Amino acid sequence: MHTLRVIQTFLKINIQTSLAYRADMVINILLNLMWLGWELLSLSIIFSNTNTLGGWGPAELIALLGVFRLVNTLMAGLLWPNTEKFNASVRDGSLDYTLLLPANSQFLVSFARITIWRAWDLILAFILIAVGIKMGGDTTSTLSILNFLMLTISGAVVIYSLWIVLIAFTFWFTKFDNNVTILQALLDSGRYPATIYPAWLRIIVTFIVPIAVATTVPLQALRGDLTGWNVLLFIGVGVASFLVASRVWKAGVRRYSGASS
Amino acid sequence: MTPPDDAILVENLTKTYQVSEREGGFGAAVRSFFKRKYRDVNAVQQVSFQIRKGDVVGFLGPNGAGKTTTLKMLSGLLHPSGGTARVLGFTPWELKSDYLRTMTLVMGQRSRLSWDIPAADSFLLNQAIYRISDADYKRTLAELDELLELAPIMKKPVRNLSLGERMKVELAAGLLHRPQVLFLDEPTIGLDITAQARIRTFLQEYNRLTGATILLTSHYMADVTALCERIIIIHEGRLKYDGGLNELSHKIAPFKLIGVAVGNAASPDLSKYGTPVTNAEDGEKSFIQVRAEDVTQVTARLLADLPVHDISISDPPIEEVIEMAFQG
Amino acid sequence: MLNVYKRLWQVNWAEQWQYRANLVMYLLFWLVSPVVYLAVWTTIARSQGSVGGLTPNDFVTYYMTLLIVDQLTSEITIHIFAYKIQDGTLSGELIRPIHPMLTNTLVNNIAFKALTLMTLVPVWAVLWMLFQPDFSSVTWQGILLALPAVLLGFAVSFLIGATLTCVAFWTTRVWALVEFYWALVVLFSGQFVPLQLMPGIVQQIARFLPFQLYKYFPIELVLGRLSQSEILFGYGMGLFWLLVASLLFRWTWRNGLKQFSAVGA
Repeated sequence: MHTLRVIQTFLKINIQTSLAYRADMVINILLNLMWLGWELLSLSIIFSNTNTLGGWGPAELIALLGVFRLVNTLMAGLLWPNTEKFNASVRDGSLDYTLLLPANSQFLVSFARITIWRAWDLILAFILIAVGIKMGGDTTSTLSILNFLMLTISGAVVIYSLWIVLIAFTFWFTKFDNNVTILQALLDSGRYPATIYPAWLRIIVTFIVPIAVATTVPLQALRGDLTGWNVLLFIGVGVASFLVASRVWKAGVRRYSGASS
Repeated sequence: MTPPDDAILVENLTKTYQVSEREGGFGAAVRSFFKRKYRDVNAVQQVSFQIRKGDVVGFLGPNGAGKTTTLKMLSGLLHPSGGTARVLGFTPWELKSDYLRTMTLVMGQRSRLSWDIPAADSFLLNQAIYRISDADYKRTLAELDELLELAPIMKKPVRNLSLGERMKVELAAGLLHRPQVLFLDEPTIGLDITAQARIRTFLQEYNRLTGATILLTSHYMADVTALCERIIIIHEGRLKYDGGLNELSHKIAPFKLIGVAVGNAASPDLSKYGTPVTNAEDGEKSFIQVRAEDVTQVTARLLADLPVHDISISDPPIEEVIEMAFQG
Repeated sequence: MLNVYKRLWQVNWAEQWQYRANLVMYLLFWLVSPVVYLAVWTTIARSQGSVGGLTPNDFVTYYMTLLIVDQLTSEITIHIFAYKIQDGTLSGELIRPIHPMLTNTLVNNIAFKALTLMTLVPVWAVLWMLFQPDFSSVTWQGILLALPAVLLGFAVSFLIGATLTCVAFWTTRVWALVEFYWALVVLFSGQFVPLQLMPGIVQQIARFLPFQLYKYFPIELVLGRLSQSEILFGYGMGLFWLLVASLLFRWTWRNGLKQFSAVGA
């Protein structure tokens, strides 16, 4: 399929560029492991002082850490590099060339840069999730795990859609270099279940910058806290957010090219 | 319906921008916060022309005349405020996939290639995006390589290429999908003389080989005289001239230049024969500008009055002709 | 010389003021982690009554104080200086008869602080209303005692930050080193949780490292929770690290400049 072929080529190019900076890749992976070590240490400090964190146990927090790292990989490995490239292409005018390519411009802008070494992080994230689920023992049903995976994907789509809307703002407000800062700032809140946050913070990270939808919600599905309707609702939110984002992007491109409507 | 051999058909194309206006000073800044004042900029006004398939047409005009805006509308990047345009039967700003695959826009001042990766990689990306079959890709690349000598520069990161080399790979990248219409915006800008000449030769060859229609804008008269038989002049958004280069000379500036080398005096006073002009290229002769119809008469008088040992009669340089076209 | 600083202040303050729109975004970054950790530890403390001897309110006062102390002791030198080494703009500053780091960069840091603190005040007030902290343990003596500690913390953090920035004279991989440094800061400064709750060995090591000067030490001084011997030891360590950091900085700066002029701008 055409799209696959293009992604393949993007991957190939990004891998080649990474290989040219092999030493940097190694350093990045080492630093990444260091942060993982810190995250696990902080979890152990928490659980050496208590049995549950607001009703959540260590197994669940490890699974959450995995989901968090998944979201982090999406952001750091895909969204930030492409934000940089997009902002640069608006400044130097090469965006015009992108818009004239016979392919979906939103797609091109989303995948032009891929930080390859973060694939490692993806693997780590899945290991953490698997370990967390395993540690939870027999308390997690297959249905919960399925729901958990679906909502993890749906949550990532929500974050992606928000990102598209944020960078599309540049079409209306040209000097908007800080477009994704708010996403980056609130990312840290995804480390812990949003249920422990004070109400005002919970609202911000669920409805305004829905980090919690990408992290806490899948976790709740894993524990079986969500009804079937809840799960469908959140999946619906994921789909709806994608559609809205595509609309906003198209409108932005039309605005950029001076279309009258 | 576009007649079969028209590649480009433009009718009353218009583009008006609204630019917010603000005077200096604190008071004005505060006022502008509450109510923005806008000013209309008529970038392109009622421009019409037709270009046949296979033609190479030069698009001239001073800075801000509307050339780039017109090109952007024809390539589909901009929606016009009024008028119509059809390129190969398509309305450009609908950005239909089929249209985008038959045209190309190359802007001399903007790069489409990624700086950190070799041009070859960008080419592969274009192949995937334009859905070029491996066979076609190989063939086109081989042709472009022969015309542009790409082999030594394709594998280097674009960052490391000289300006001339960069323009070559930019053009190649834009031509991989064998477009039938080429929009070139200042393709030779910033290049040294040799590089410019090479690009020109390439475009001539390409046009001859593929029959592609080429519309190019340029500041350099040499581009235009070398490549285009027909030029369109735009000034302040309006079409001033559309026709052949030679006819332009006769129509706008029916003048001739007479250059005389006079025996004894270093710089004789020729003002009673015609308008003296300075010509840096020929230091030996002194030049005067004379109306075309007076040439024979003035030449005769010069030869009779002065000890002339060398005389020439030529057309004024094309730059001056076009300068005059801009004024009119 | 005082005039030079005065002028630098005016220029830097004006510059910072220009970027005030970015500040809101920037402040978000700064606030989120402490608020998140606060939520974590107060949740635990509430379910058990206290953790490691600390009540929920103890945590609230700790993190609220941390927000201010952190702003006061942090530095941004790597962000505003590293690029000058890498793209050569530093040459322009070296020609001037004043030390680029100890003047312009230092004042830039302070101007940035002034602006962020201004923006922090209303936010802090809102957080006060939301978290309802009980600051009754705070006394004027505590605050007065903490002030020199804050100054010391900033001085050490600035000098170490400047030293690390100087590594850019030798390699572009300075950012990896800085990231490692930040990990150490998170571990040993009490940013995640008051040091009393860290594993014993971490606490032991932290006593001898400079990082707690950045957050834990001044915070505990403000909250009046340190014994006299701890206060003396903390200040002693602080002065020791001030000396070490100054020497380190002088050494890297001097040799870095040699490297810079050898390689050319």
